Amino acid sequence: MVRWGARTMRYLRLFGLFFRVGMLNELEYRANFFIQVFQTVLGLLVSLGGLSIIFSHADNLGGWKPDELLAVVGIYFLVGGLINLVIQPSMQKLMEDVRQGTLDFLLTKPEDAQVLVSVRQVQIWKLVDIVLGLVVLIVAGVRMGTVITPWTAVSFVLMLLAGAIIIYSFWLMLATFTFWFVKIDNILVIFQSMYEAGRWPVSIYPAWLRVILTFIVPVAFAVTIPAEAAVGRLTPAMLLGGLALAAAMLIFSRWFWRFGIKHYSGASA
Amino acid sequence: MAVIQVDNLRKVYQVHQREAGLGAALKSLLVRKMDEVRAVDSLSFQVEVGEVVGFLGPNGAGKTTSLKMLAGLLHPSGGEAKVLGYTPERRERGFLSQITLVMGQRNQLVWDIPAIDSFELNRAVYRIPLSDYKRTLDELTHLLGLEPILNKPVRNLSLGERMKCEIAGALLHRPRVLFLDEPTIGLDVTAQKRIREFIAEYNRRHEAAVLLTSHYMADVEALCKRVIVIHHGKLLFDGDLSDLVAKFAPTKTISIHLEDDRADLSAYGEVISREEGQITLRVPRAETTRVTTRLLADMPVTDFTVQDPPIEDVIETVFAEPDATALKVN
Repeated sequence: MVRWGARTMRYLRLFGLFFRVGMLNELEYRANFFIQVFQTVLGLLVSLGGLSIIFSHADNLGGWKPDELLAVVGIYFLVGGLINLVIQPSMQKLMEDVRQGTLDFLLTKPEDAQVLVSVRQVQIWKLVDIVLGLVVLIVAGVRMGTVITPWTAVSFVLMLLAGAIIIYSFWLMLATFTFWFVKIDNILVIFQSMYEAGRWPVSIYPAWLRVILTFIVPVAFAVTIPAEAAVGRLTPAMLLGGLALAAAMLIFSRWFWRFGIKHYSGASA
Repeated sequence: MAVIQVDNLRKVYQVHQREAGLGAALKSLLVRKMDEVRAVDSLSFQVEVGEVVGFLGPNGAGKTTSLKMLAGLLHPSGGEAKVLGYTPERRERGFLSQITLVMGQRNQLVWDIPAIDSFELNRAVYRIPLSDYKRTLDELTHLLGLEPILNKPVRNLSLGERMKCEIAGALLHRPRVLFLDEPTIGLDVTAQKRIREFIAEYNRRHEAAVLLTSHYMADVEALCKRVIVIHHGKLLFDGDLSDLVAKFAPTKTISIHLEDDRADLSAYGEVISREEGQITLRVPRAETTRVTTRLLADMPVTDFTVQDPPIEDVIETVFAEPDATALKVN
């Protein structure tokens, strides 16, 4: 346990360092910050506009009340921000490095390669999404006026964590395919648009799409299930299921990554 | 003790073949014909502590593939490599923290920030204690003249400055084995010289073993007493640079100074140049002594020198052979 703790601390410190580099990097280009704020606010307004139109015609959507859906929107921004903060840029950098052969440098470093590829590219302005997502979530919570029980709080945090792990593992597996196919950017675009679907609870979609969004592209675990937890609708079985799936995907994606890296042969002989 | 020990190392690549044209390209989406390429074929050699060895061969000879196997990036298809007693492809921490890889054609420094910030990252990844880091950084800054460039964003540096920073970043952890893949490529003569001198100095100070590939013979001549030549993945020569010339240069050049520069000398050897009494002849190596004696006896020679051809030319002859393995000497 002590070793695990020390290792986790070390990885967090590494992430902190890369975060610092990301900041140094971004501060060179100040305009990006304002563009990001604009983009996030715009995205949020579109979401809220959608909500108000829907609820001017109906008083619930797939069993979700207006304020509950507001929580979904908040979580959507929160998780999306997390993905775009570090997971997506790091994985994109991995693909670029495989194509250009610069992954070699990373592999000669005396540190777990998976950890290095997973944290080394940080788009700090995506913090804006995370902060705004949190704000929306808090507003939704206040409007719902429910008392936050320990169960709600703990299950929400656990499901958010599980969702992040599931999405991370999913991305890692996608990115690992570059070792064989080299150029797979298109897959990432597909993921991006699938994630857009997470704006709404998956329960509003037809069954076939729900299956895809839950098990093939695990958007449900990233947004809908943490939202269920936040509004206090999560069952213990769902909680255990989510945690088990997160653990399984983490283990499997690590195995797959290691398998992929064995096949890596560099861009030039 | 051998720092690098390579026995019968092999690497076979599977590459897909495709004919030219759109039709073939479309077809290759479905069916791919795979071909085997032997990038490295039964390579064996050793490198001792503190040795600087030039690793020579034309493009595609298998140099980079060999270096990558030794650095633990590629799994060998056969044979065995040991570096500092470790098996490289296991990528153990003890191994990785004692080696470094520099590739002249690829950068590892972060583009938009000053090199010094990238160095900090390396310090964390290699877990270098702060005092050691400061000492090494001071030394590298001094030797490479990095003072004025460390705090500029890497994207604003010239190619030469960038390469100096790349090399410094790759040596912060004081590796004992250096794999340098064309570290001077694209640099101007001054920058090349600077880096060459630095590598020699680093090797002298820290007894580090260096395996270097370069297409610039000046690098090799300045740094490497010993060279390993490979071609089509096979070992062609392993020994002193001077022996390489003796073994592979089939000719020598004789330059003489004659008063009468119109004299017909074709009977003695192939005339390469003739300028204001200065005539250069190419003669078979074995006949150098005989031709020289005859020339001196027959002609009113006022001055003469006998030389080995330039090392570039020697290497070129080696690789120009249709089947270079026929020349294999070991």
